[in-house]
Amino acid sequence: MSELLSVRQLSCGYGSRAVFHDVSFSLNRGQVLCLLGPNGCGKTTLLDTVLGLKRPMSGRVLLDGRPVSRYRRQELAQKIAFVPQLHQASFPYTVRQVVLMGRAAYTSVFGSPGKEDEEACDAALERVGMLPYADTPYHQLSGGELKLVLLARAIGQQAPLLLMDEPTAHLDFRNELLFLETVVSLCRDEGLALLMSTHSPDQAFFLSEHGLPVTAALFAQETIHYLGPPEEVITPDTIRAVYGVCAQISSQPDGQGGTSRRISLSHTI
Amino acid sequence: MRIFHSKWFRAVALIALPLACIVISLFSGRFFLSPAEVFSTLLHPVPGAAATTVVFQLRLPRSVAAAFVGASLSASGAAYQGVFRNPLVNSSLLGVSQGAGFGAALSIVLLGGGAALYPCAFLFAVLAVILSILSGRICNTNTNVTLILGGVIVSSFFSALTSILKYMADPYSQLPAITFWFMGSFASVGTTHLVAVIPMLLGLALIYLCRWKINILSMGDREAAALGLNLNFYKLLLIGGATLCTTAAVCISGVIGWVGLVIPHIGRMLVGNDNDRLIPVSMSLGAAFLVVIDILARNLTAAELPIGILTALIGTPFFVYLLKKTKGGAWQ
Repeated sequence: MSELLSVRQLSCGYGSRAVFHDVSFSLNRGQVLCLLGPNGCGKTTLLDTVLGLKRPMSGRVLLDGRPVSRYRRQELAQKIAFVPQLHQASFPYTVRQVVLMGRAAYTSVFGSPGKEDEEACDAALERVGMLPYADTPYHQLSGGELKLVLLARAIGQQAPLLLMDEPTAHLDFRNELLFLETVVSLCRDEGLALLMSTHSPDQAFFLSEHGLPVTAALFAQETIHYLGPPEEVITPDTIRAVYGVCAQISSQPDGQGGTSRRISLSHTI
Repeated sequence: MRIFHSKWFRAVALIALPLACIVISLFSGRFFLSPAEVFSTLLHPVPGAAATTVVFQLRLPRSVAAAFVGASLSASGAAYQGVFRNPLVNSSLLGVSQGAGFGAALSIVLLGGGAALYPCAFLFAVLAVILSILSGRICNTNTNVTLILGGVIVSSFFSALTSILKYMADPYSQLPAITFWFMGSFASVGTTHLVAVIPMLLGLALIYLCRWKINILSMGDREAAALGLNLNFYKLLLIGGATLCTTAAVCISGVIGWVGLVIPHIGRMLVGNDNDRLIPVSMSLGAAFLVVIDILARNLTAAELPIGILTALIGTPFFVYLLKKTKGGAWQ
C-alpha cells in the first residue's frame, strides 16, 4: 500500500519565479502535517498544488500513488476535502444547503443531492455540533460557527485527506479550541489524514499533545527547511531562523503525565 | 395540508400556473369574443372562422411566446446571478440586448424590417456575446469580473452603433420602428415565430439540468473546484444555455427589462436561495408574469402598450421595495 499523499521535489511559483522549491514529504492516514512559515512563503500555494488547482513547476504530487493531475475533479474531491481560509458568502444559503455542497463529489453529472446525501450532511453537522443551525442562513453565523460548517461540508465529502488553510485564523480562544478538539476527534476516530497550514506553532503542540502523530514543516529559505516532530523542530532557534523573531518555548507538565509546550514571543530581530 | 409540501404537488403547481395564465389570456383582447365563443372554438375549431383565427393564430402563439420569453429571461437571470456570484446582474449581461437591438435596427434601416429582422437580431446578439467573452478574456485574471465588464463594454459599443442608425434613419417610419423594438412587444408574434421556442427550450433544459451545480459555482472558482466540480464544463453549459435562451427571447420580443433581474429575486423570497428549487420556480413565475403583463399591455389602453414599459413600471417600485425589505432580511 503506497502512501496516501506523497509530495516529491516539488517546486511551485508564479510565472518564472519560484515561491518554494524541492519540497518533499509524505502523509498517511491518521497523521497530521502542520505547515508553518511567514506570510508569502508558499503555504497556500502548496495546498493549491496538492488540490490540483495549480500546476507545479517541477516535481510531483502523488495521491494513492497516482499523480494528482491525472485525477478527474470529482474523483479528487472524493479523496481530498478542503476547508478554505476565507469564505466570501454570495447568496444566503441555509447551513444545510452549504453542507450539501460537499456531496457534489458523489452526485451525477446533472444530478441533485438525494436522501442519502441529506443523511450524510446531517451526520456531518451533528459531528461538529451544528445540527441545530441546519436551517439558519449561513452568513448570519459567527466566524467560529462558519468554520465549523465548512468543516462539516468537508466531512460530508467523506475523503481520507483533509486540507485546511489557516483554519483558526480570526477565531476567538474558545472557538479555536473547539475547532481543534473537533479536528482531533475526527483524525483519531475516522483516521483522516490532515494537512494544514497555520500561523500558530502552539497548534502543532496542541495536536501532538492530544495524541496525534504530528509532523511540523517549517518553511525557510524557499523550501521546507525543518521537518519533524513539533517538540524537536519548533525551537527558539528555528523560530528565529524562520520568522526572524525572538521566542521562548515553555514546557510544563500537563497533569496527565505529558508535557505541554507553548511559545511566547519577545521581540523582532 | 400535507399535499402542499409534496414534490409532485409543487411540480404540478409550477407547470399549472403559466398554463392557467395562457388560458386566461385567450379570453382577453381587442377583438370581442364572448367566453362561450372562446370555449366552443377551443373545443371545436372551425377553420376559417374569425374566432378560430383570433384564438389560434393570434392569442395563443402570442401568449406561448410570452410564456417562453418570461421563463427564459428569468431562468437565465437566475443562472447568471449564481454563476457570476452577483445578485444584480440580469439576463442581458453579456450584451445580448444591445447586440440584438443593433441587428434589428440595421435590418429596419437597410431592409425595411420584415422577415429579415429576426435572423439579423439573432446574428448580432450572438456576435455581441462572442465579443463580450473575447474582451473579458483579454486580461487573464478574475474572469468573472472581466466577463461582466466585457458585457458592459460591448453593450455600450452596440448602443452607440444603434444611435448612429437612429440618427440616419427615416424619422417618420424607421425611427419609430427602432424605438418600439427597444421597448419590447409581442404584438407581431405569429405562429411562424414559434421557431424561437426551440432554442429557448434547449437553453432552459441546460439550465434546469445544471441547476444544483449553480449553488456550488456561486461558492467561487477555488472552492467549487475543490468540491469536485469541472468548472469549464458547467460554466459552458450554464452560460451557453442562458445566452441561448436569452438571445432567442430578445429576438422575438425585443428588449424586455427587469424580468431577468426581478423574477429570480421574487423566487428567492418565496423558496429561498437553493437553485435546485429556485430555477424551476423562476421559470414558472417568469412565464406567468410575462403572460399577465402582456394581457395588461394589450388591454389597459386603447392603443397597445409596449411591454417593456410595463415590466419596468411594475419592476422598478418592486425592486425598491425589495431593497428595503432585504436590508433586514436574509441578505445581511
